[in-house]
Amino acid sequence: MQLGFLVDLHLCMGCKGCEIACKVENEVPLSTWRLRVKYVDVGAFPETKRTFTPLRCNHCANAPCERICPVSALHYLENGIVNIDKERCIGCAGCVMACPYGAIYIDPQTQTADKCTYCAHRIASSMMPSCVVACPVEANIFGDLDDPTSNISKYIQQHQGDVQVRKPEKGTDPHHFYVGGGNVQLNPLASFRGEGHNLFNNLTHIHLGGHH
Amino acid sequence: MVHETLAATNAIVVLDVALPSVFWGWIITMNMWAKSVGTGIIFLTFFLLKKYPEQTGFIRFPAVVISIVFIHLFLFFTVIDLHQMFRFWHIFFYPHLTSAITIGAWMATGFVGLLLAMTYAIYMKKDEAMYDKLLGWTTLLAIPVTLYTAGLMAEATARELWQMPTESAQMILAALLAGSATMLLLGGNKFSEAVKKDLALVLGFSAAAAFILYMSEYIFGGMKAEEVAATLAFVKGGEYTAMFWIGQVLAFLIPMALVCLSLKNKSYYLLKIAAVSALVGLWVSKHVWLVIPQLLNMS
Ligand code: SF4
Ligand code: SF4
Ligand code: SF4
Repeated sequence: MQLGFLVDLHLCMGCKGCEIACKVENEVPLSTWRLRVKYVDVGAFPETKRTFTPLRCNHCANAPCERICPVSALHYLENGIVNIDKERCIGCAGCVMACPYGAIYIDPQTQTADKCTYCAHRIASSMMPSCVVACPVEANIFGDLDDPTSNISKYIQQHQGDVQVRKPEKGTDPHHFYVGGGNVQLNPLASFRGEGHNLFNNLTHIHLGGHH
Repeated sequence: MVHETLAATNAIVVLDVALPSVFWGWIITMNMWAKSVGTGIIFLTFFLLKKYPEQTGFIRFPAVVISIVFIHLFLFFTVIDLHQMFRFWHIFFYPHLTSAITIGAWMATGFVGLLLAMTYAIYMKKDEAMYDKLLGWTTLLAIPVTLYTAGLMAEATARELWQMPTESAQMILAALLAGSATMLLLGGNKFSEAVKKDLALVLGFSAAAAFILYMSEYIFGGMKAEEVAATLAFVKGGEYTAMFWIGQVLAFLIPMALVCLSLKNKSYYLLKIAAVSALVGLWVSKHVWLVIPQLLNMS
């Protein structure tokens, strides 16, 4: 079994339902996020368009975070999920340095690394990840990539040519796909990021024990 | 290059969460700097005792003490940077062997063991032959202990600027620079002219080689990867430009110039200034190189 995610960006309307559902389900502390939806505006008035991109851990098959973790706190589950053992983590932040997608953060309450686990605890009870359940337009498609009859496999088959991963050049082999995405959504260098457009405008950077 | 499409697309992030700030900061700079001194002094001790066994015997004890102090500083800064520092022992009990952090911690522990054995040999047993034998093994182990940080930076896949071949060369050069500078300050006028000249040459050449590598990255790095170009923008007019050049001047340019002058004038005083400048500048240049890739937005 190899669990994977696919987000159809044609469908996503940026409601942030998934973001909030994740926060609640996993009790993600204030100022940190396992899943977030980034808004990027493209074009100049009146020809403008707003894009929405949910961003979470990709559960890479060749995960740099797992490789760099000195104590195997980050580890693979049999279903392909890259999981984290917070009791074992020593908080070295090696994984934060290694993840090319900025998907890992240091939990300010436990002072250990944390990230999206594809809701591994829910999957263990045969439930879908909470973001999948919350999405009103079924833009999040989740399932077994090894099973050609699963929803996600069928979706990938049907949208061949329009299925992408983030930063494929990093060789991480993400198990998280996007349909209908372009550089603007998937490559952080393709958009300008000024200050003052954060969810909380005064909070431009999260300082979690890093030492500048 | 997608960056060049910005003018056409006018793509602007209009709503997102705050990004993480720098995680590996001055504490990790201290870690790398102290390790350069701790291993570098061993390289230079090995070299001097092989080449000038008669004149440099007195460095055996102070050199090993300096190495112990700086390696412990390195270990101290390693541990205090952990967000869960009291779980440090997990590295030994749940080791993950693909991680450069694990391998580095084990090697550094072995290195400390050898340093303590050397101290025992020279201080308690007054046995120079035993010390010299141990020094050979310690010097060998000092090489991977110096290099492992380059491996760790290379494993930080997100940070395109840090590549193993360049970083490993930079780590060895940093150790030679710091080691020769420390040795010059340690030996003082007790060293003969020939020894001082050799140390000055090691200092000058390691400064020159490291400077060439930095400049190669500075000029050519961005041609290969857009992320590197975006990272280097922080030192090309960006917020770390001044600090970058202060580091380059102090660590490499001033020592190179002073070494040339001192060789001409046979002035040990100039060498001392070169050594201090190199040690201070090394910290600054390491710090800039550590921080700038972390300023880049990953997502
Ligand atoms: S996206 Fe980042 S955190 Fe997730 S598995 Fe890949 S490297 Fe690890
Ligand atoms: S912070 Fe924790 S999970 Fe991340 S690499 Fe270090 S020990 Fe592993
Ligand atoms: S819940 Fe669905 S529609 Fe709403 S932001 Fe998330 S993926 Fe998009």
